[in-house]
Amino acid sequence: MLGADLTGANLEKADLEEANLEMAILAGAKLNRANLEGANLEGANLSGAHLMYAQIDEAKLGGADLSDADASYADLVECDLSGAKMSKINLTSSNVERANIEEADLTGAILADANLSGVVGRGAKLAGADLSKTDLSKADLTRADLTGADLRRASISGTRLAGAILTGAKVFGIEAGGGDVEGVIAEWVDNSADGDGSVRVTGDQIAAVLSGKAAAAAAVAAATASGGDDRIKRYFGKGDVLRNANLEFGQSAYVEIESRFEQCSIALGEGAELVVGQDGVLVDCQITGGGNITIHGQFFEGASPGIVGPKRLVVSSHGSVVGVVQQPDQSTHFAFEPGCKLRMRILHANNHR
Amino acid sequence: MADPKKAEAAASVKKTLVEEGTEFKGSIVSKCPVAVSGRVEGEVHAPSLTVATGGAVFGKMRVGQITSEGEIAGEVEAESVLLSGRVSNNTIIRTKTLEVKPVAEAAALRVTFGDCVLEVGEEPKKTPGTSPVQGTAPAAPKADGGGGQPKPPAPPAPKPPQG
Repeated sequence: MLGADLTGANLEKADLEEANLEMAILAGAKLNRANLEGANLEGANLSGAHLMYAQIDEAKLGGADLSDADASYADLVECDLSGAKMSKINLTSSNVERANIEEADLTGAILADANLSGVVGRGAKLAGADLSKTDLSKADLTRADLTGADLRRASISGTRLAGAILTGAKVFGIEAGGGDVEGVIAEWVDNSADGDGSVRVTGDQIAAVLSGKAAAAAAVAAATASGGDDRIKRYFGKGDVLRNANLEFGQSAYVEIESRFEQCSIALGEGAELVVGQDGVLVDCQITGGGNITIHGQFFEGASPGIVGPKRLVVSSHGSVVGVVQQPDQSTHFAFEPGCKLRMRILHANNHR
Repeated sequence: MADPKKAEAAASVKKTLVEEGTEFKGSIVSKCPVAVSGRVEGEVHAPSLTVATGGAVFGKMRVGQITSEGEIAGEVEAESVLLSGRVSNNTIIRTKTLEVKPVAEAAALRVTFGDCVLEVGEEPKKTPGTSPVQGTAPAAPKADGGGGQPKPPAPPAPKPPQG
């Protein structure tokens, strides 16, 4: 079947174990649950192929084209994928353990929840790839391009990253556990829970965040663990209107508001996270306590100061704030993005009323 | 990465410099960018103003763009403002765009704000909601005793530059 043209063929559940499909054209072919174990697919065209749950262990796919293919839940253990074109491939929950992806192009690939432990990925292109919750333990990603990749809650225990590029990578909740982050190249990484770039980490702290060793990194993680699974989440959806309510949230709370709040008071425990989404509007409201506040929507104070004692206050490019901010003793960490609208009076940390 | 050509061009642009160890009192009106590593008390009118770490400008600043890593106090009017460092008491900043970059929580503060007023961009307008329900609990009392629409915060009374 060397060089065979099987474009769009239906080969679901086919037994092609150790078949010689070198240079075969299988673009768009249906290979779901097929057995391709040990098959020779070098240089084959599998672009857009359907490979869900396929058995592709130990297959030879060097230089093959798998771009836009769906290989979610597939087994690719010890596969040779060196130099393969796999941009935008879907490998969600697949098992790619100990495979060779050296110099492969996985730009924009979806590898969420996949097992890539022990892969050899020197020089692999993983820019913009979704590697969230991916197991990259003991992988060799030396010189790999992970620009803008989503590595949230991925495991990089024992991973080699020397010379890897991580600028703009989303790294919140990354599990380091002794990963070798020496020599990582990054202007900044994103340590926000939502991966929205709101918590940029630069300089020496990048290594601290990636290694998980520094107290600073721990503090950053703790302060920004807004999406953490262990947090108590409260969500107020778009279209709802809440009036004259007094709301109290504990220190482990994560609160997201896309609703309209009128004449409400919100008390936040130390370190609680409050996110006013882009559709969230707080009119004549007051927020008190040492929480971390991010405003993408609108806040108009009622009682003044409208915001009392926040640990962190971020107003994004879509955010608006009208009101007085009373800083706590330790001063508030402010961040303002260009485009935000403010009519804000800030009161000095020691200027208590 | 900085564009080397732009960096070279920027380096060749003439600047008005107030070097470290220099204190200047009075008005600076310049068509060149002004860079302050020392201390200025008075007025600065310039297309751009850069206040370096350790530098300070107290008074009125009317500039196209201000980038401050040092200390500023007084009245700032600018097209755009990029802040780190310190904003002292009795400062008002009026600008179309303001940027204060976020930092890791455990790191030192990007900006320390004293009592100040920020007027940034167009005045925010409340998006209309559904009509308030009559007879619901009254709004929380305002500190100024007023009710209804919140007023924009009053600017602090300008003070002469402090030494």
